[in-house]
Amino acid sequence: MSTEEISGICKEAVFSTFFKSHAKALRNYLFYKFGNEDQAEDITQDAFIKLWQNCADVPVEKAKSYVYTIANNASLNVIAHQKVVLNYAKNSGKSELTNENPEFILEENQFKTKLNKAIQNLNETQRVAFLMHRIDGKKYAEIAAELEISVKAVEKRIHLALVELRKEFDHFK
Amino acid sequence: MEENYPLAKWLSGEMTEAELKEFQAQPDYALYEKIKKHSSSLEAPAFDEAAILTSVLNSPKKEVKTISFTQHWLFRVAAVLVISLGLFFTYNNFSAATEFAENGNQKNFFLPDNSEVVLNSGSEIQYKKWNWESNRTLDLEGEAYFKVAKGKKFEVNTALGKVTVLGTQFNVKQRDNRFDVTCYEGRVKVNYNQTEIVITKGMSVSFEDGKMITLPESTAQNPEWLSHELAFYQEDLEAIVGEIERHFNITLELKNTENNQLFTGIIPAKDINISLEILATTYHLKPIKVDSNKYILESLDAL
Repeated sequence: MSTEEISGICKEAVFSTFFKSHAKALRNYLFYKFGNEDQAEDITQDAFIKLWQNCADVPVEKAKSYVYTIANNASLNVIAHQKVVLNYAKNSGKSELTNENPEFILEENQFKTKLNKAIQNLNETQRVAFLMHRIDGKKYAEIAAELEISVKAVEKRIHLALVELRKEFDHFK
Repeated sequence: MEENYPLAKWLSGEMTEAELKEFQAQPDYALYEKIKKHSSSLEAPAFDEAAILTSVLNSPKKEVKTISFTQHWLFRVAAVLVISLGLFFTYNNFSAATEFAENGNQKNFFLPDNSEVVLNSGSEIQYKKWNWESNRTLDLEGEAYFKVAKGKKFEVNTALGKVTVLGTQFNVKQRDNRFDVTCYEGRVKVNYNQTEIVITKGMSVSFEDGKMITLPESTAQNPEWLSHELAFYQEDLEAIVGEIERHFNITLELKNTENNQLFTGIIPAKDINISLEILATTYHLKPIKVDSNKYILESLDAL
């Protein structure tokens, strides 16, 4: 093994950069999948440990799909699926707060709570795709690559997720 | 034909002007807009990136010893147990089983097909447990009584001859040069050298040194030795002494005896003293006790 090869993901700086750009997204992805924060974190950590240990065998360009594959396999063993509990950022809609009446604020809060519940009730694939887009701000192409599906399939999941969410608000004024 | 997912296009801002205008005109638009707005302010739980990165980088560079289930020590113990149990049962079934009655003891046991066997003192039986039902063959050394369950051919091999039966009760005795078979129920086929003879209920047949001796019919239900009696038909003193020795697990020494008379009769064998007294009277002997396990039988004729 030449030193050239070691300089890939095995370099601590390269690895750290890679970790910072993908670890949180991977953890989030797992969390959207089965809702268990601790297990999502453990699996993420294990996946990156495996990458770090086998860095010599994994080319940089394959590293991302490597950790996602490991995490996906590990997540098959997750025992406790939980509700995906999400929070709203505290500063959301601040600009509106000042000039809206209390009734409107109450209505907004009700809507948010309902939306959160509706997301919990989405099926796994739709929820994962939808949240990867909304929370992690990923492009459909990125989501497709990480889930190893086509962009069209991602679009379908997002579309259906929106339709499902919309249904929940049938009786919402 | 490609499916179209307008909502996905709208959410990612890929709609054309015209499509957008059309969509905004729909009554649902406001709701979708709200969903879009609020879902963008959602947050996943906090993630301590730095801490995890540190622990990843500090993980041992060598392959982590994940103790999988297969490597767990309990699993190993269980595996060893299962294997040894398996070996044990295989060995038990395929190897020859041996039943042995020591001198002074009788032993009662059952064969795999529930045939009953009573081994007389100082006798041994070997047989194979595996496939017993279709191959009922055993080797006998000494004397045994058989109550054979109905089934296929049942074979008793001895050094002197072979006994073949169907379901029946019979006694086989092979001592030194003498081979006795008595049938108590059913039919028994006896092979001795080239001779083959079939005996039925109550009949006995004996061979001694190649000569056949025909015994009178007996009405006994069981061999006498089962009820602690020693039965003899035209047997010499040495054979009787051997039988008594085995029965009581003692040593008898004959002194100056040249009596070749053959003995026929039953000697009760519950008490050693009575048995010896009968033998002594018959053969004109004097029993001398050396210790609890040894007697000398001295001939009175020689004195």
